[in-house]
Amino acid sequence: MLRLYYLSLHSYLQIMIQFDKITLDNGLKVIVHTDPSTTIVAFNVLYNVGSRDEDSSRTGFAHLFEHLMFEGSIHIPSYDTPLQNAGGENNAFTSNDITNYYITLPKENIETAFWLESDRMLGLDFSENKLEIQKNVVTEEFNQRYLNQPYGDAFLLLRPLAYTTHPYQWPTIGKNISHIKEATLNEVKDFFMHHYAPNNAILSITGNITMDEVKPLAEKWFGSLPRRDVKNRQLATEPKQTKARSLSVERSVPQDAIYMAFHMSSKLDKAYYVTDLISDLLANGKSSRLYQNLVKDKKLFSEINAYITGDIDPGLIMVNGKLMPGIEMHTAEDAIWNELNQLMIEDISDYELNKVKNKFESVYQFGQLSGLNKAMNLAYYELLGDAELINHEIEKYRGVTKEEVKQTAEKLFCKENSSTLYYMAKK
Amino acid sequence: MTLNRTYQPDFKTIDHIDIPIPEKIILANGIETFLIEAGTQDVIKIDIFFNAGSWYQPKPVIASTVNEMLIEGTRNLTSKQIAEKLDFYGAFIHAQPTKDFGNVSLYTLKKYLPETIKILDDIIKNPTFPEDELSIFLNKRKQKFQIEIEKVSHIARREFNEQLFGKNHPYGIKADLNDYDNISRQDIVNFHSAYYCANNCKIIISGKVDDSVNDLVNQHFGSNDWKNDSLNISKKCTIESPTKLESFIPKEDVTQSAIRLGKVTINKDHPDFHKLEIVNTILGGYFGSRLMKTIREEKGYTYGINSVLVSFKHAGYFVILSEVGADVAKAAIEDSQKEIKRLREETISRDELALVKNYMLGDLLRSLNGAFEIASSFKSLIEHSLNLNFFNKQMETIQSITPDEIRKIADKYLHEDTLVKTIAGKYN
Repeated sequence: MLRLYYLSLHSYLQIMIQFDKITLDNGLKVIVHTDPSTTIVAFNVLYNVGSRDEDSSRTGFAHLFEHLMFEGSIHIPSYDTPLQNAGGENNAFTSNDITNYYITLPKENIETAFWLESDRMLGLDFSENKLEIQKNVVTEEFNQRYLNQPYGDAFLLLRPLAYTTHPYQWPTIGKNISHIKEATLNEVKDFFMHHYAPNNAILSITGNITMDEVKPLAEKWFGSLPRRDVKNRQLATEPKQTKARSLSVERSVPQDAIYMAFHMSSKLDKAYYVTDLISDLLANGKSSRLYQNLVKDKKLFSEINAYITGDIDPGLIMVNGKLMPGIEMHTAEDAIWNELNQLMIEDISDYELNKVKNKFESVYQFGQLSGLNKAMNLAYYELLGDAELINHEIEKYRGVTKEEVKQTAEKLFCKENSSTLYYMAKK
Repeated sequence: MTLNRTYQPDFKTIDHIDIPIPEKIILANGIETFLIEAGTQDVIKIDIFFNAGSWYQPKPVIASTVNEMLIEGTRNLTSKQIAEKLDFYGAFIHAQPTKDFGNVSLYTLKKYLPETIKILDDIIKNPTFPEDELSIFLNKRKQKFQIEIEKVSHIARREFNEQLFGKNHPYGIKADLNDYDNISRQDIVNFHSAYYCANNCKIIISGKVDDSVNDLVNQHFGSNDWKNDSLNISKKCTIESPTKLESFIPKEDVTQSAIRLGKVTINKDHPDFHKLEIVNTILGGYFGSRLMKTIREEKGYTYGINSVLVSFKHAGYFVILSEVGADVAKAAIEDSQKEIKRLREETISRDELALVKNYMLGDLLRSLNGAFEIASSFKSLIEHSLNLNFFNKQMETIQSITPDEIRKIADKYLHEDTLVKTIAGKYN
């Protein structure tokens, strides 16, 4: 696949992201992308650990640990204060697959970022008291985002329905609050020693800076950190689902809702891109099929979404919607199935397929406006195997054919591959 | 030599920020248009905003309905055709109704601007608000309303606004479910023709701006045929003083309560605003703020707590907002008030003030990094016709303010006993 529809060679070259990459002796990978147009540098550290690496009796641990990373390290009692003094800002997130920490600060103060991030990679200043406080904070996060919101627990219910075996069966926040409350300091220390290490991390930097400037700083601050004995990841594979699953719950919410999940491929499989475009055909934008047909024409739903979970191991494509008052659940569900079946029965037009590809390209271009976004992506693609993959995303999406859409839809959207949560409003 | 990890490497305090000032041009029909040329990607954003916020509406929910329904059909295109075209070109049109303005923003790849600006032109000048689209829209809004009203944060915000401004004031009024049944297509059409006109808007263009872009904007928005000669935006309203300082709205089965504490205060056009903004930052405007330190990091009551200065066109207010464990709402409010008292009574340490200054300068630098960031930073200044030297003034104030001034400003504007309190959830 070489000829790229709607994409001149010119515009293709423009979106190539140039970068340099080295690996330190201790295994830390360092990636630099030079962007002279900005005075701010983005400094991103990705650790190859996520909630899929948790013990099933200690779910939510990777995320709790992310909070503890801000509670002071061996030589530096406060992480935030010196960074803010250097005009910097930071945050972090945990997903099923990774834990990602990031800083933006003025370029001339970049050494502060090296100092802070290398010290907390060296070791943390753990204490019982800090652990207790962060358990409370995370408990309130659990409350605020999942329990104290209408429909907030839907994915807490849907994941264990879709997965019987793989750790994707619990969300990043954890299965329930008790797991967080029971975490001990020894478990925290153990987790650090097995997952936080230069040989399990990727540092990516973007801004008006070159590898020549970065390399000496990386050697200075990270070079002496010891390699650690990183746990070999051996995750249970999810067995192929053979029967439709469903669960019905009642909650005090204003409208019924339906959540459907279908197993899809892993991130590195070609079918991943096809499935992502299928989710766009279904629900990305107001011209999408589910919105036009089920919200606008048939008026069955007040809102409807379809998206992929974006996981590295085989993930899920989700379809969920909130029903209009007076609409029966089975009517709504049948209508969704009808749309899914349509993808297998009828060839999609060139126009429609190009539309979702164009939109992908556009969103990708807008994403490149942010130096931080580029830094995160470079680290993420390096984790997947090679940062250079970032420059092949568009051609992978452009290369999807209508035959692939049909074949992939056939594999995805069969009853045996579905898990459905009926989220019913208490009458 | 072993590496000394104990001390922070040398860093520079930001002593100067090159603040870009948007270039102003006037379209042929008089529309003030601001250009921000920056960035490396071939993308363009056009913001066009009208004095058409809920301030001007004769009945609740009209202004936001007009704004959000512009893309639901024109004399030339159906709702579906508009959606198809935008998606095909990978472009986005965002409607953003606020209290004072009706904003419409187009994000587009530059190569498709000639096509996408046509759509923007059409939806602004020729929307038809078809009856069936209106009915779908209002039904969806009603559903959304019913979900939002289940959230303690939403309940608290509604109540807080009413307490601050009064139940008849446009900034305080609470829309109710039946308001969606009480508007007609004619209300919508009337509001659109009254306020979405050339002599009632401004434009910001950001991204890879050049002459070809300006020409297109002038061609589509520079003509005289969409003015309203009887435009009237002189509506005035008075703020009633709060009748109740504390309001508690109970909700069963909650794990968290939402709290709001605040008062009407100065907005961006007041000479003390920059100073008050520094005070606000110390209190609750960044991750290392006093409220975050006390309420989150020491007590573990919440996932997050902030304080904000909100600037409307006709008023401004200060607010502390958080969702806290249901059993600690009272304690969180008391602790927040103590932090304000401390700001008024104790002089801030040199170290803490230096930290906040450095943080704020870094933040200012970040907010002016990239074309779209610059555009959104300048937007409220342009909306409110403020001096575009605002950020230079801000930089000077951050650099020069003293601990003594911090205390005085806190004392002048933020007495803890004068704050309106709102609690939704549990409170005991």
